[in-house]
Order: sequence, then C-alpha cells, then structure tokens
Amino acid sequence: MLTQEEARKLTEKVLSFSTFPECDVSVSSSESAFIRFALNDVTTSGFAVEQSMSISSVRDGHAGSTNVDEFDDNSLREAVQRTERLAMIAPPSPEHMPPLEKQNYATAENYAADTAAARNRAMIPHIRAIIDGARQNNLVAAGFFERTAQTAAIANKQGNFGYGRTTDANLSATIRNSAGSSSGWASHPAVEISTIDGAAVAHTAIEKCLRWKEPRRLDPGKYTVVLEPTATGDLIQLMGFGMQARAAEEGRSFLSKPGGGTLVGEKLFPEFITLRSDPFNKLYSALPWGGGGGFFGGGAGSGLPAEPITWIENGVVKNLFYDRYWAAKAGKQPTAFPNHLILEGSNKSLADLIASVDRGLLVTRFWYIRIVNPKTAQVTGLTRDGVFLIEQGKVTSPVMNFRFNQSPVEMLKNTVAMGQPIRVRGGEGQGMIAPPIVVHDFSFTSISDAV
Amino acid sequence: MLSRRAFVQSSAAAALATRLFASREGSTKPNPELENLGAAALREAKKLNASYADIRIIRYRRQFLTVRLNPERGTGKTLEVPVINDGGSFGFGVRVIAGGAWGFAASPRVNQEEIARMIGEAVDVARANAALKSKPLELAPVPVYRERWQTPHERDPFAVPIEEKLELIRSAAAEVKKQKGVFSSACNLAFRSEDKYFASSVGSSIQQLNLQTYAVVNATAVDFKRGLSKSRRYQPQQVTAGYEYVPVMNLVENAQRIREEVIEHLNAPPVTPGKKDLVLMPSHLWLTIHESIGHSTELDRALGFEANFAGTSFLTTEKMGHYRVGSDLMNIWGDRTNDRGLATTGYDDDGVKATKFPIIEKGIFKHYQTIRDQAPLIGEKESRGCCYADNWSSVPFQRMPNVWLEPGKQETNLDDLISGVDDGILIDGDGSFSIDQQRYNFQFGGDAFWEIKHGKKQGMLSRVAYQSRTTDFWQSCDLIAGPSYWQQWGAPNDGKGEPEQINSVSHGCSPARFRQVNVIQTD
Repeated sequence: MLTQEEARKLTEKVLSFSTFPECDVSVSSSESAFIRFALNDVTTSGFAVEQSMSISSVRDGHAGSTNVDEFDDNSLREAVQRTERLAMIAPPSPEHMPPLEKQNYATAENYAADTAAARNRAMIPHIRAIIDGARQNNLVAAGFFERTAQTAAIANKQGNFGYGRTTDANLSATIRNSAGSSSGWASHPAVEISTIDGAAVAHTAIEKCLRWKEPRRLDPGKYTVVLEPTATGDLIQLMGFGMQARAAEEGRSFLSKPGGGTLVGEKLFPEFITLRSDPFNKLYSALPWGGGGGFFGGGAGSGLPAEPITWIENGVVKNLFYDRYWAAKAGKQPTAFPNHLILEGSNKSLADLIASVDRGLLVTRFWYIRIVNPKTAQVTGLTRDGVFLIEQGKVTSPVMNFRFNQSPVEMLKNTVAMGQPIRVRGGEGQGMIAPPIVVHDFSFTSISDAV
Repeated sequence: MLSRRAFVQSSAAAALATRLFASREGSTKPNPELENLGAAALREAKKLNASYADIRIIRYRRQFLTVRLNPERGTGKTLEVPVINDGGSFGFGVRVIAGGAWGFAASPRVNQEEIARMIGEAVDVARANAALKSKPLELAPVPVYRERWQTPHERDPFAVPIEEKLELIRSAAAEVKKQKGVFSSACNLAFRSEDKYFASSVGSSIQQLNLQTYAVVNATAVDFKRGLSKSRRYQPQQVTAGYEYVPVMNLVENAQRIREEVIEHLNAPPVTPGKKDLVLMPSHLWLTIHESIGHSTELDRALGFEANFAGTSFLTTEKMGHYRVGSDLMNIWGDRTNDRGLATTGYDDDGVKATKFPIIEKGIFKHYQTIRDQAPLIGEKESRGCCYADNWSSVPFQRMPNVWLEPGKQETNLDDLISGVDDGILIDGDGSFSIDQQRYNFQFGGDAFWEIKHGKKQGMLSRVAYQSRTTDFWQSCDLIAGPSYWQQWGAPNDGKGEPEQINSVSHGCSPARFRQVNVIQTD
C-alpha cells in the first residue's frame, strides 16, 4: 500500500501533468483478506490488492473527471489529458466550487497493524470455533470473515494534501438447524482484528438459533418492540441520507417544513435522542477528511477536514448536511457527510429494556430494507434471525418473521427507552454505533414464512 | 472544441490495457500477448501443484454523462448542471484449487512476475483453507475452447463524440423542464465495456468484449403547500448493444410524456387498499420476476452457500422437477444467449459456453442456475454457465443469467388483460422493492399507477404497493399478453455474495395479469 511519501510523490506527478488551473486527485490503495464459509465448510476465500485514482480537471467551471488504476507515467499523463479534453467539451457547471486551499487535517489515526497484517491463518481459528460449535449442536454454520486495510491521499494544485490510513474487520455468522426451520445470527465489527472472538460470535448465534424454534404466528399490526443494537442500526443508519439540507429546503425530505423552509431548530424527538457523527470515535477507523462535495460529500470539491457534528441533540434537529455549493448559497458553513453515526443511549442493558416491556416483540435484526417514500423516510423490510414475544418483562416464545412499513423518523419519535450503544454492522450498509431501544407502535404489515 | 478524431486517438494512448485489448479486424482467436500472460499463470500454478487454475485479465471502461436541470436557490432560475466521467479499471484475478479447496488472489499490476506472485498467494490461501475442508471440491467437466467473442454491435459507444451524447441528454432534460410544474429534471447516458481474457488449466483460452448501454430521464414535482414530492422516470430497456441502440430509446419523445405524467402523479389520489387485480407492464414485472423467481432458483442459495447474506430459498432441492410455483401459463427460461440481455455473453467465468435452459415449465420448477463446482452437488453432469465475477478483484461465483417469462398466445393483447378487470391497477416502471431471505414474502411499489375500473383504464393513483407470497402470486397469473408485447428490462446492480458483488441481468416478459393481490397504501 502507498506510504505517505509515495502518495505525495505520486500525486505531485499527476498534478505536474495538469495544464488547467484546477486539478483534484484522490488516490487509494488497499489490501483485503477474506474467508467465506457455509455448510460447516470453507467455500471461497481470497487476498486482493487494489488501487485506484480519481482525477478531476476544471477550467472556468468546465469540468471533466476520470478513474484510473494503472499508475505508470503514460497512463497517468493520459488520464489527466483525458479529463482536460472532457472539460473542454463539457458545458460549465454553475454549481462548481473553487478548489480547496490548503487544509489542516488531523494527524491522529486509528490504524491497527495486526488487522493490516492478518491473513487466512489468523482468521481460521475463529471460523473453526464457529463450525465446531455448530457441529456440536447438530447445527449448520455459514459466515464471512474479512479484514481490510487502506491508505488514501488527496491533493490539488492549490497545495492541499492529505493522507490517511484505515483498517477494519468484521466476522459474521448465521447458524441454522439442518431442517432449515430455525436460524440465529451474530456479528462483530472491529478496527482491531485481535479483539474479534469467534467463539463469542458462535455462542450468540447458536444460542439464538436454538431459542428460535417452532415460531408462533402472530397477527401483523402495531407492536411495542425491543430492537437489539443491530436492528436499531439497520434503520437509523438510513437517516444519514435524509439529513441533506438541499433536499430539506427543496421540499423533498422529512426535514422539509410544509409551506417551505426546514425543521432545523424544532424538537421532533424525545429529549433523550441525540444522533451525531464522530469519525474520531475509537470504534471507527476513518480518513482525516470527510466530504464537502456535492454527491454524498464526495467527488470534486470534497476534502474538508473530518469533524464530529451533532445532527439531533436532545430531540432537537441541530444541523443539516451542507455540501460546499449549497452552503455557499445558503450562507452556511459546509459540513462533512453524515457518516460514522452514533445514536446515544444509556447505561441500561438489553435485559433491562426487555424487563420494562409488558407485551412486545424482541427483534434481532432487519433485512432487505428499501425506501418506500423518501419524503417521509418510510422504508419497508423484514425481521430476520430471531423474533421473540415479550410478555410481562420476559422473553416467552419465538415468533414468525414480519414485514414492516415504518419510517425510522417516526420510530425515533416513538422511542421510549434506550440501552448501551455498541458498534454494529448488519447485512446491509456500513453500520453505526447504536443502542438497543424500546419503540411503541412499530408497524408490521404482513407475515413472512422465511427462516 | 475538440474534434472526434483527436479525442479517440488520444484516448487510445499506449497504456498496456489498451494494447492488450485492441480490436483486431477479423480475428477469431485471443490476443497472443494475453495468451502468454495466461500461460505464465497456469505454469506457475502447475509448479505449485494446484489441481486447477484459471486467470481472468480484465479491462473495464465506464463512461457516464448526466445533465440535471434544477432551480437556483434563492432566484428560482433554472441551472443546467453537467457531470462527465470517463474512467476505467484494469487488473487480474487468479483462482486455484489446492488441497481440495479454493484460493483466490488479485492485483492491478498486470505483468508476469505479479501474476506468478498472486498464484503463490492463491495457493497459500487454498492450502490454509484446506485445513477446514471436509471434502474436496469437484468440478463438472467442461469442453476446451479457444475463441474470441463480442457483444453484437454496430457503433462503439466510446468512439461516439461526447458532444453528440451531451446534445441528446441536454435536449431530453430540457423537454421535461418545459412543463412549468416540474421542479427538476435529469437525463443520463452510461456505457460500460468489459474486455476480458480467460485461461484455465482445462486448456481454454477465451477473449470477450461485453458492451452495455444505459439511459434514464427523470422528472420531479414538488407541492410545497401540501408537503408532497413525486417523481416519474423514463427508463429505456437496458441492453448489451452499442450506440446504435441509443436513438431507439426515443429519450426526447418520452421526456415529453413523463413531464405530463409527473404532474398527474403529484395530484393523483391515494389508492384504497385491499385485494385488487394487477396488470403489470414489462417495465415493472421484470423486477418481480427477478426477485421472486430469479433468486429463488439459484442453486447456491438453495444449498445454503448464501445463508449468511443474501439468504437461502424456499425452492429446496427436493422440490426440483415437480413443485408447482405458478399457474400453467408460467414458463420461465434461464438464458445467457438471448439478444441484448444484460447477462448475455459468450462464455461464463468458469469457461462454460453460454446456454439456455428451462427454469419453470407450465408452472412447475424444473432446473436451478448452476456453475461447475455446484452441478455435481445435485447430481448434474454439466454446469449451466452461470459463473460471473463483477471485477478482476472479485471471486467468480454463481450469478443470475437472464431469466425471462414466455409470452402468452399470439392474439392476446393488452386490452384483453385490462378488459377483464373490474377493480384493479395497471403498474408501469419499477419502484421500491423488498423480499425476504427465502423469497416468500415480497412488497413492490412502482413508478406509475393507473386505476382500472370495470374493464377500463382510468386516471393515475398514488401511494401504491402490493404484498404477496411468491407461489400465491404466480398461481394467480391468469393471462399474459402475446409475443409482440415482449420486452426486457433489467438492472446493472443486482447484489449478492460476500464481499458483495453486483451483476447485470435482464428479465423479458409481456404484460401479465394477476388476480386478487393485496394492495397497500404507503406514505
């Protein structure tokens, strides 16, 4: 992977090929090692080295961009020339922002050398623990263990340069019985691979599978639910996309005020709801820049220093995501994109939350979540890998899976209690730091036969 | 302004990928330089005692052009915002079997030394994994091929001047915005080419060029007073073809239609929920076919290989050959040979020649989609050619071929479907979609909905979605329009696998009618 010095030399070389006043370069190099397993056996596995560079050239608002992963001089020169030729053809963009001047990026990084060095032989004992655990219980294990390491740099002709390194790992396992009538799941995402414990993941998934036997059929309808942290994260992570100031001001978002304007400053949620981004949280490994470009914070013009930001504080909408163009138009400060989300919680345990519910459903996680209405943030999806009835504060019986139609915004409004947050990563999306929560009136609309 | 010739010439600079995959008039065999690199990989694998090896050397080109028209903040003046990106990627991936287990490694540095190094990495991965392997892999046999294949096309989309493309998408976006009630509009064109060389220890050496062409026109309308926002989209059929297909898309003509329909959508009354008959157009039904039939008939899902991510399937292996999925009208094919299908190709990533096979016959489940290391697991003697990896850095595995529904009788037309409906909805275009991990329970929205009352199409409805169970839904299919209505839509981004990979796939069908489906009212 590229060292800081190599990245600096490489980006300087690319910028030396530029004849336009503006040229933005973003380069990344990565290594990943992964093992897939299923049917109590390893299936596919590999080691991949990748590198990629994005180049954007601009003159008088005319912009062209390219991606290239051949880093020889000829390829890079040709790539820069290509962006300049595209820019000469393109109409000027009225939303183009001037390039960033030199920025001050944080030098601290959360990079774990053990993760970056780990190969299959370091992962196999954990997978063996899961497969052995499944076999001992006459169950069937499937799962995935991956670790990635990345170095990245950004540079432009105005002298801005940033460099960062990240690592991450995730082990997930699904345990099913051989009849396919019961299923359990667990995962552990971590920056440091040495903190991941295959035996612990196996224990949780096996226990869930053994408990979720012969689920009973309950009518769809509105239920009080206790969402395990992964289930909370599965839905709340979608709110990041909804924090865009532009969509809110243009009447296309749940944060649009009827008649015009936005709901910033309004108390939409209970007092104890605080949603924020923190790329420096020790559970995350993040690059020292965090967006500012127009397309989800990326693309040309991005590269603002990463910073913590609070989106919802004590129930009040505090901030929206402003890319540099929209911020300039609105007279606001641009912000980083809502990544590295944290939903604050409390010291209560999951058991405390379950004990507080007279009648409700405990949900392990959600699956196949898709937006139904971007204006209200309503999404649909299904429960997966363990739903249980709670009666008088105790988990009593397994329940068949449900489809839901529910806005995470309404869900947060109807949240009545929260527990201890942990880092979670479900089946879709990058995950977040989320607590277990208790929600009233969660809307299940049909039953699924799936296990 | 730059001339077309200058642009094309300098785009074809002397980068290695360009040289390796340069088009050679009349050549039916792979480029010798590629064959040399392939041979180096296979030699190294043999030296390290791998029992099987293959290499894929791939160069992608992707061109994306979009124009968005939206009001300027504060002034309301319409701004035209263009984005142009022309990029690519080049690298190789190697697979080996050693000690009875798979190993894979990939790198962007395409040279003999790096290829040998990555073969070593892949063998190392395989031998480490062999410790967990309970029984060795078995591959279904495959004939040896030495061939060059390409998507049939008349006009290379990457050789068409950017100016010509820009003019077209600017015109289409502007047509939409001519309607005063339209808040914003957009049009984009996208082209993707995959130059791929495959060599395996079986002895095959195959070079292919796959070309894909996409476009879309969008319209958005906003009612600030009522707090509503609706959109309407014209999505032409996505195809494997060259630029000759772009004029056939009629982007500007359809832009005029959707600018009216987005306003009607904004003002359309919400649906009254309940059981209703549905008439589903091919632009919509493709996605229902994809999710409910395409994915449920993948053998890796049925066996449990996808249990941790995409899920398993209600079509378990004991059901093959006799289980009723739908009505007698339902005949569905798996096909990587059909004209313009997004999954259409010459050979799959196992080196198996593209083929066509029945999945559902008269409503009965007949065959799974398979690859070489799966076919023996259900006692089949050959793969059905469904192996694909979405990148040189991705592991090939079972991916969906084009899965299409046979049309109904020659004389059946759309009016026949509508006239038989007393209380129903006609749905065009795809919208929100979600299905459970075993492919039973699904919910689909759409892009536009028209009420059908007493056999006649009425005005638009809004806030429509339907929920059903795969077998209930397909058994309620009682009429399919004839062959002249058959069209195929698809997607470039079907997700599956860990690390997740995407796949391009088409699903052809004629409009079809489904009785008494549960319709809900969404937000």
